[in-house]
Amino acid sequence: MHTKKLMTAFIFLLAFVMIMTACGGNTNNNAGNEPTPAAGQGNEGGTNAGAAGDTALAKAMNGEYKGKKVTMFGPFTDADEVKFNESIKAFEETTGIDISYEGSKEFEATISVRVGGGNAPDIADFPQPGLLKGFVKDGKVIDVKTFMTDEYLQKQYNKSWLDMGTMAGPGGDVMAGVWARSSVKSLVWYNKKAFADAGYAVPATWTELMDLTEQIAKDGDPAWSIGIESGTATGWPATDWMEDIMLRTTSPENYDKWVSGELPFTDPIVKNAAQKMSDIWFNEDYVYGGRKSIATTSFGDAVKPLFDNPPKAWLHRQAGFITTFFPEGLTADDYDWFPLPPIDEQYGQPALISGDIYAMFNDRPEVRAVMEFFTTGESLKSWIQSGGVTAPMNDADPSWYPNDQERRMAEFVQSADTIRFDGSDLMPGAVGAGSFWKGMTDYISGTVDLDAALKEIQSGWK
Amino acid sequence: MGRKKGIRRSKWLVNTVLAVICLIWTIPTLGLLVSSFRPAADILATGWWNILPHRDWQTAEQLQLPKETDLRAPIGIDGATYTDDQLRAGVIVGGERLIWENRRARVLNVQEKEWTVISRFTTQNYETVLGGKTYSITMPDGSTKTEKGSGMSRSFWNTVAVTIPATVIPIFIASFAAYAFAWLRFPGRKTLFVLVIALLVVPIQVALIPILRDYTALGLNGTYFGIWLAHTAFGLPLITYFMYTSISQLPKDLFESAFMDGATNFTIFSRLILPLSVPALASISIFQFLWVWNDYLVALIFLGSQPEVQVLSMNIANLVGSRGNDWHLLTAAAFVSMLMPLAVFFALQKYFVRGLLGGSVKG
Repeated sequence: MHTKKLMTAFIFLLAFVMIMTACGGNTNNNAGNEPTPAAGQGNEGGTNAGAAGDTALAKAMNGEYKGKKVTMFGPFTDADEVKFNESIKAFEETTGIDISYEGSKEFEATISVRVGGGNAPDIADFPQPGLLKGFVKDGKVIDVKTFMTDEYLQKQYNKSWLDMGTMAGPGGDVMAGVWARSSVKSLVWYNKKAFADAGYAVPATWTELMDLTEQIAKDGDPAWSIGIESGTATGWPATDWMEDIMLRTTSPENYDKWVSGELPFTDPIVKNAAQKMSDIWFNEDYVYGGRKSIATTSFGDAVKPLFDNPPKAWLHRQAGFITTFFPEGLTADDYDWFPLPPIDEQYGQPALISGDIYAMFNDRPEVRAVMEFFTTGESLKSWIQSGGVTAPMNDADPSWYPNDQERRMAEFVQSADTIRFDGSDLMPGAVGAGSFWKGMTDYISGTVDLDAALKEIQSGWK
Repeated sequence: MGRKKGIRRSKWLVNTVLAVICLIWTIPTLGLLVSSFRPAADILATGWWNILPHRDWQTAEQLQLPKETDLRAPIGIDGATYTDDQLRAGVIVGGERLIWENRRARVLNVQEKEWTVISRFTTQNYETVLGGKTYSITMPDGSTKTEKGSGMSRSFWNTVAVTIPATVIPIFIASFAAYAFAWLRFPGRKTLFVLVIALLVVPIQVALIPILRDYTALGLNGTYFGIWLAHTAFGLPLITYFMYTSISQLPKDLFESAFMDGATNFTIFSRLILPLSVPALASISIFQFLWVWNDYLVALIFLGSQPEVQVLSMNIANLVGSRGNDWHLLTAAAFVSMLMPLAVFFALQKYFVRGLLGGSVKG
């Protein structure tokens, strides 16, 4: 008797769930099922449809692709996802194309499985171009030049962006995708009001910066607040510092060699950069909480002591996105930034940047239209207006930026003597997202000395 | 008499040791529970145990040093001199502690130990987790628009929709299979059984890409049916083995007499085997239920994180935000996601204890 009841209960439960999912399932059934060209053939499929004449975007704007769906996969979740959806809303309404965005924290790990399993999204967003390189090499990615002309791309982007987007495919170089949003990294943030009250001046050279650091220390505060803790990605802010200092102590060519693995980490040039960094980081008077707290402070919390009253620290080097980590209630009058000053005058004022490149895996007219849309500043307009992102496109209007600080970031990139992409994002994952992070963390927490740390990082290349 | 006392004493000893072990094992969970009710800034500043009464340094008075005090030279206070390092860490002088309040302003705290407790609690973490985060976005015209992100309820039901069939289907199939392996004689039985056991050691990761390819061809990606199938396949070897050990222990005479009475295999299975293996069924249900409920990898690959199908574990992983800034929400989210497994566990608990022996005593 007892079992019968149990069985009936089970059957009811099962039936209930099946009915529930049958109702809910319909909406998403066609999400993954759209006929997609086999990933391997994508490239050839793209080349024969080379008619670049009247653009897909123009057709889309006329409503030709109404009701079509384009799937996108990327790492934004949360607030970024909301901002992204907000920025494509107008496009979706005009064209009737539904851009279905899926964000996952595990993007880096999942995208390889999906592409390998033939379930690639139409468009994927890569914050680390190093990862995209592998897919381009295997011919999985569609060359955007098959439907966008060189002239058009050169009009939309600076040459350095286009150079960074060009990657080696199986049959020669391809334009692997379009740059959709960027972030400027070489920024030193400070508390504007407290800075003025204390009578400090913005340093223009490295010597002035070190003098200011010493001055603040004499006055009784540590100048810098530094934190590199970031869960499994602990160490990445340290790699940004290294890259910034590399750009300021050696030639851009050496930087490129370093990023591509030709210049080993054990080279004196790299060691010199690490020592420059240690001059600040390991001086107990210069860092809030001292060396021991760097590795245990979350990068997002590290900026907070600047805005304590009175400030507990005065300077913080971090990319433009850090404004989202500022304590609530701060306005643009409370904070400001200056570029990390040049160290060796002959290399001028470099700017370290990072960005997201959107790559296309399936070639359909509506996907082309969406890709073309992403090359326009318009696609980023509402995101720029809500703050936290810099546009890589030329046609983004400076008046869109919500405040002067963000506008100056865009100008800073335009006027910098050298622009280089975040090196750790370009290096292969085993180094850029592996031994580089870990080696820096070990060095900073004091478990190994500099030579051992650099050797450890270099071993990631093998 | 003496022997009895000895047994009682050893029982006491065992119970005490067990109680201590239980306590140690529960402490992290307890800490998580306490943290889930604390504001994020507090979690950062102090450990959860500070909610218990404890003695801590409290500032009694402040000492203003001359503004021109050189911090790098020994600092004289009340006739004694201290180094800056000492004052940073705090020096204890006659029960009082000297420590910097504001080095820049040259203000020192003189502190005494006092009993305190921290009693700032909030339900904000739970509200955000259940109700969804709010995002304020600056609109083109300068106004701010607040948008509410999706809460957990949608993904909670999604998880239920994934978990229940993914628990029932494999157990249903595996029980039939286990009966066949245990009591039916057919050619290749041993070989097949060894094959099933061998599948136990195949890690599921190696199957992800091949299965994903097939799913893409069949259009099963991102559907509930696809993930039920995946969980069924991944769960079957263990469940079959587990059910086999339980069913094969039943006395042989039972089946023989039933067979003599003219019962078919199906009658034997449904009237005899199933009622007799309820404990085993219940305990393997708990195992499979927990496994599917907590699963992240299979859902990530075959279901994806579209809001219509997103399961709890993925929703929770995404809660921390693109840059991990909302880590404090994980405490509350962990407890919310724990509720359902706890309910299932307590409902089936009495079988669970019996079932733990399943497979352990084999004749």
